[in-house]
Amino acid sequence: MNLFTLEKQTFSLSTEGAILIHTPSGPVLVVADLHLGKSATFRARGLPVPEGDTARDLGRLLELVKKTGASRLVIAGDLFHAPAGITPELNWSLQTFIADLQIPLTLVLGNHDAKIRNLPSGLVAQTHFDLENFRVIHDPAEASPDHFNIAGHWHPVVKIRDGKRTSLRLPCFLWRNRTLVLPSFGSFTGGAIITPEPGDQFYVQLRDQVVKLPPEIV
Amino acid sequence: MPVSSLQPFFDSKGWEPFDFQKETWAAYLKGKSGLLHAPTGLGKTLAVYLGPLAEALEDPKPKNTCQILWITPLRALAVDTLRALREPLTELAPQLEAEAKTGDTSTSLRAKLRKKLPFTLVTTPESLSLMLTHADFADQLANLRCVIVDEWHELLGTKRGVQTELCLARLRAWFPKMRVWGLSATLGNLTEARETLLGSAFKKSVEVSANLRKEIVIETIIPQEIDRFPWSGHLGTRLAPQVVRELEKAKTTLLFTNTRSQTEIWFQALLALKPDWHDQLAMHHGSLDRSERELAENGLRTGSLRCVVATSSLDLGVDFSPVDQVIQVGSPKGIARLLQRAGRSGHQPGSTSRILGVPTHALELVEFAAARDAALERRIEAKPPLQKPLDLLVQHLITCAIGVPFKPEEMRREIQSSYAFRNLTDEEWDWSIGFISNGGKALAAYPRYHKARVEDGRYVVDDKRFITQHRMSIGTIASESTVSLKFASGRTLGSVEESFIAKIRPGNHLIFAGKFLTLVRIHQRVATVKPAPKTGKGQIAIWGGAKMPLSTELSHALSRRLNGHGSPSPEIDAVKPILDIQRKWSRLPDDDSLLVEHARTREGEHLYFFPFAGRLVHEGLAALIAFRISRQTGEAIQTSQNDYGFSLNAKRGLNLDEDSIRKNLSTDSLLEDLVDCMNTAELSRRQFREIARVSGLILQTPPGRPDRSQREIQSSASLLFEVLQRYDADNLLLLQSEREILEKQLEFTRLNTVIHSLSQRPIFTVETENLSPMAFPLWADRLQAIHLGPDAHTRLESMLVQLEKAAG
Repeated sequence: MNLFTLEKQTFSLSTEGAILIHTPSGPVLVVADLHLGKSATFRARGLPVPEGDTARDLGRLLELVKKTGASRLVIAGDLFHAPAGITPELNWSLQTFIADLQIPLTLVLGNHDAKIRNLPSGLVAQTHFDLENFRVIHDPAEASPDHFNIAGHWHPVVKIRDGKRTSLRLPCFLWRNRTLVLPSFGSFTGGAIITPEPGDQFYVQLRDQVVKLPPEIV
Repeated sequence: MPVSSLQPFFDSKGWEPFDFQKETWAAYLKGKSGLLHAPTGLGKTLAVYLGPLAEALEDPKPKNTCQILWITPLRALAVDTLRALREPLTELAPQLEAEAKTGDTSTSLRAKLRKKLPFTLVTTPESLSLMLTHADFADQLANLRCVIVDEWHELLGTKRGVQTELCLARLRAWFPKMRVWGLSATLGNLTEARETLLGSAFKKSVEVSANLRKEIVIETIIPQEIDRFPWSGHLGTRLAPQVVRELEKAKTTLLFTNTRSQTEIWFQALLALKPDWHDQLAMHHGSLDRSERELAENGLRTGSLRCVVATSSLDLGVDFSPVDQVIQVGSPKGIARLLQRAGRSGHQPGSTSRILGVPTHALELVEFAAARDAALERRIEAKPPLQKPLDLLVQHLITCAIGVPFKPEEMRREIQSSYAFRNLTDEEWDWSIGFISNGGKALAAYPRYHKARVEDGRYVVDDKRFITQHRMSIGTIASESTVSLKFASGRTLGSVEESFIAKIRPGNHLIFAGKFLTLVRIHQRVATVKPAPKTGKGQIAIWGGAKMPLSTELSHALSRRLNGHGSPSPEIDAVKPILDIQRKWSRLPDDDSLLVEHARTREGEHLYFFPFAGRLVHEGLAALIAFRISRQTGEAIQTSQNDYGFSLNAKRGLNLDEDSIRKNLSTDSLLEDLVDCMNTAELSRRQFREIARVSGLILQTPPGRPDRSQREIQSSASLLFEVLQRYDADNLLLLQSEREILEKQLEFTRLNTVIHSLSQRPIFTVETENLSPMAFPLWADRLQAIHLGPDAHTRLESMLVQLEKAAG
């Protein structure tokens, strides 16, 4: 992992699309946009999409928590996809996950989560989460001018032309002004291609590390 | 003989029925179904329509119920068809109605038709499919006599054709005595076409052929200086001045091109030469707004236009009597296609159809001569029907379940009465039924999914939301994701593929509908444009569109022409100097042998193969051989292809003897190697979009009605593809996707035939000093080959390395 220091805060970006903020009381792991229960939402509406994403994504997340030795997990919004996707099976997987987690879990409310009336037990949602000069939010549009913001919501993907008619589309971290937008963590989420603005920085996974893209190829 | 009841109509027109018309009526009245094959403009509409009409007039049963269904492949044709059908009705039975129900039908008429269907209903496969979702449709059709399928050759071989087959299977199950008649232009496989249309009703059916040979004249504009005429290219407007002279001679000309961008280019070229014709020129292609297209169509109908530049959007049967000249710019591609286009002129029975070819490079001169040979010998292409597209089957099953709940074993029998699904296996059937009901997997990969419920042994879909969703998704087979092009004032110019407009940045120029435009912005499927400043040079819109390959029949005729067969022709005389060079430097290729040229340039080594099998097959062969050679040598190989052959280009390692060429052309592990080298995974992911849409995995959003709850179940096809691969890899739609992409991208069936034939042909290898005239176009195109690299990481890595090097 490559280390960054910003406003006296050290953090690193992981190849799984998470950010790890190193604090005196241990690292805080932030991921965004899991969209759990998305395939179940599809099925409930009569679209035959197979199940598998929920278990897989929670498994990946748990593994990441253990690997990084995080002392806290923060979800930057959209843990869930839609009310129709909150099935008993999902609830059960989630309870198991929370039990296995063994560290505090914070949910920053995303626009998708907001549609769910009763969040599964063990979950309390808040509008943002502050950590010294850092603030975790969901929608980059709500960035606080007084903080360095960590957000989700956009599912950023960068498009790189690497031939006359070919291009790569890679999920990325987007660093724009004082906001870092995380790629979506869920495996059934898709992404949106970001139109680069002056000053944007893009970080993508390249094998076992996260690299910054030179501005000339974006 | 009830046919006598038709006499007043013919008397009023002063006509005498043709023999084939009488033959069709007689066959119909004997209770037979069949296929009528006749060139356009010879009264084939009356041949199939008047039989059932005469029968209905004799029948004492109440008449004003729906008795005849007329299926047309094009909405645009519905209006003309209606006009043609109403003529005899007015004369013989003014109390009987004919109406059209298509996607263009007004809401009020649609509501009226929903209550009561007219005596004759003109409709499209999609609209017919949609009507099957109404529970009372069978009752409304209780007196159905006959279904007529117009322009069957257009539907054959497409998913819409299979949709028609399935709808007919449903109607046949309801009304076993119903007769089905198809109308078709000339095809190489008319019997198969008839069997595909009629399915299990094929046995006692008949084929009627209008033996009125329509005279067809194919001529070519000969370039004056052949040695300055390009050897390659496909957009060339070099002959535009000569074309203008031809336009001046005729009253109304239809000028066909092969692509939409070529249409725009030729429209501009003609206008540049004749600015004062701007009121008399129009264009027509599938992307233009309906009102623009109708303007052009009306101009042709009334003869007020001098020339309409068009693509295949005007190939079909609309009757434009004033057209007295048809011009084809660029390769004719196929014989059936050229004849179809030629038939757009001389629409009156008995008159001659004439088509004037405009070559854009030298070898196209030979193509026109070859097309004429083949047309005279009536060697017409076959159109193979589609087999078992399961995406369409699951769509149809839901359609049926919404209309009338069905028992699975009865439904299976019905489905297998269609030609496309006659060989449906147990596995495929079980999978399809599972897909629409519980996901069908033994392992619970689809918990809580059910679309169709089983009630009393019948499959039923009654969830209102599913029904609405499904109705929305019927009839979206052909459409790709498009963006409409509008002025800020709101006037719509037309629509273009999303992928195309995405390449143009706001502020940049494009040419569309013959106008120079500046792109202002793209927002929610609308691209706003404004007129570009006069000085602005527009980049001509290059659509991805299909590059149609040269047909096997035309390739064969071409190969014979190149080798001196056929009667003397001005085209061959003109191109002789170039053919002489080819013969002197190398030899003339043909499709009985395989010519392989080897050359060295500063760039390295080049190999040129000339199998004459059409560009798609060549693309596949090129990729295959490049893959096999580089597996041995480790060298990167570039490829390019056209309709005559393909080339390989590498730094070294291409100097092959006959033995190693044969080895690289081997049929062993053909499919595996192709799947490996063509990046099939990536390609079938793209093909999956259509399949996902047809099978109902992707929802259609209603235009202009963004529904928030719909957004929760929006997903891209490529994401669904990944999810299916990961969690349900045996899903038959994935296999279908691979099969379709091989056929669509590479014409796999044809490639297979070609590669087997190549192993039997003698091989001639020639070392050339200079690039031969046949090799030159391939050399000029060599940088256009697309190389999808390996995985994303390797590609990104190599880019970063290059950047570092550049930064030094």
